[in-house]
Amino acid sequence: MAGFEILDPTVEPRRQPLTYVPRPDSLKGKRVGLVENTKFNSDKLLQKIGEILKQEYGAAEARMWRKHNSSVPAHQEIIDDAKRTVDVVVAGIGD
Amino acid sequence: MTARISSQRYAVEDFQQALELCYSRGWTDGLPVVPPTEPAVRAMLDAVGLEPDAQIAFITNRQVAITAEKVAINAVMAGCLPAHMSVVVAAIEGIADPRWGYHGPATSTGSAAVLMIVNGPIAKRLEFNSGDNLFAPGWRSNATTGRAVRLVMRNVIGTLPGRLDRGTFGHPGRYTYVMAENEGESPWTPLHVERGCRPEDSAVTVMAALAPHQFYNQLSSTAAGVLSTLCDSMRYPGQIGQPNYCVVLAGEHMRTIAADGWSKADIRKFIFEHTTNTIAHFKRTGRLPGAVKPEDETATRPLVLTPDDILVVAAGGRAGSFSCYIPGWASRTSSEAVTVVIKERSA
Repeated sequence: MAGFEILDPTVEPRRQPLTYVPRPDSLKGKRVGLVENTKFNSDKLLQKIGEILKQEYGAAEARMWRKHNSSVPAHQEIIDDAKRTVDVVVAGIGD
Repeated sequence: MTARISSQRYAVEDFQQALELCYSRGWTDGLPVVPPTEPAVRAMLDAVGLEPDAQIAFITNRQVAITAEKVAINAVMAGCLPAHMSVVVAAIEGIADPRWGYHGPATSTGSAAVLMIVNGPIAKRLEFNSGDNLFAPGWRSNATTGRAVRLVMRNVIGTLPGRLDRGTFGHPGRYTYVMAENEGESPWTPLHVERGCRPEDSAVTVMAALAPHQFYNQLSSTAAGVLSTLCDSMRYPGQIGQPNYCVVLAGEHMRTIAADGWSKADIRKFIFEHTTNTIAHFKRTGRLPGAVKPEDETATRPLVLTPDDILVVAAGGRAGSFSCYIPGWASRTSSEAVTVVIKERSA
């Protein structure tokens, strides 16, 4: 068989810049958002984390949102609400 | 069609070198692939009348556009004929549908495969198997169309085992998991018609699915008798809140149930009503949290949200007192079965 060419079946994902907001030096007085993903005990785990962040790190408050399900990103209402009402966000998984 | 095929080209000396290149690049599912040459890829595109850069689907969480060119290349590699391309395209549209929810079933430790159920005239024309050895090797259409979808998932979307595919067990159906409904012998309304298509349409239904579970009933001569065995098998392995179950009724059971005059709707209603479990059972078996309360002994939960979430398909061998059920993956909010009309190019 003579030489021939084959075609690449793969594709590179579209690259997009992703920047993190600066991390706060301290959580003192910060408002903490907790994003719960619906898996068993993820709410309890995050609640406990929220308590620790308040008691041991001086966070001012902690509030929780619940995603539609564990396989999707946080929906827009959560993101909009978080932007308005908290300074940092903790997302967790219950597995 | 003259639009340029833009994929990178690799020069090879011979078939063996092409094959080893595909292996070394991680482009195969472990089995040998057909080297994707431009003429073969062109034939795939011509069969569906699509330009190479036509977008078939977009996977949001990966920010990946799936073009006809890439689907065609992977279909060639899978061993598809050009005539199969329309089926593969429809299945890709299905798994990219937000209702199917690509990220979950493709990525989850829960190890779903893409079950493809082909209905309509194309199933017979392309000789998709709907009978004996339904899920077994031996039929090109079943073997290659499902394989092509998995290769697109791997090579285009980046669903790589151990990386973005974290299945705990994986699934043999991830090589291919394709059946046709036995419309020729079925007494019932075909699945695609129940799901809104016209009888003359060809369609593929994609469902995020676990393995088939076979059950046996050689004793019953009634619909209720056969389905009682099915329900007893189905209800206990059930997880909480699965989106769909597919029930595949093979020849003997199909004829017994039909002889009692039961429609698919009757079958679904019976299954829905006979597969509930008590909350107490779920708690005792570690499927729901918390201590068992007295009221949990009588409170029940159905296996799926509604009877319509049970897909009933007539398929499998004519002989043998077996049928099977296929649990869906995860929950209704995560993934649900999607039916897509197969768009064939008019001659």
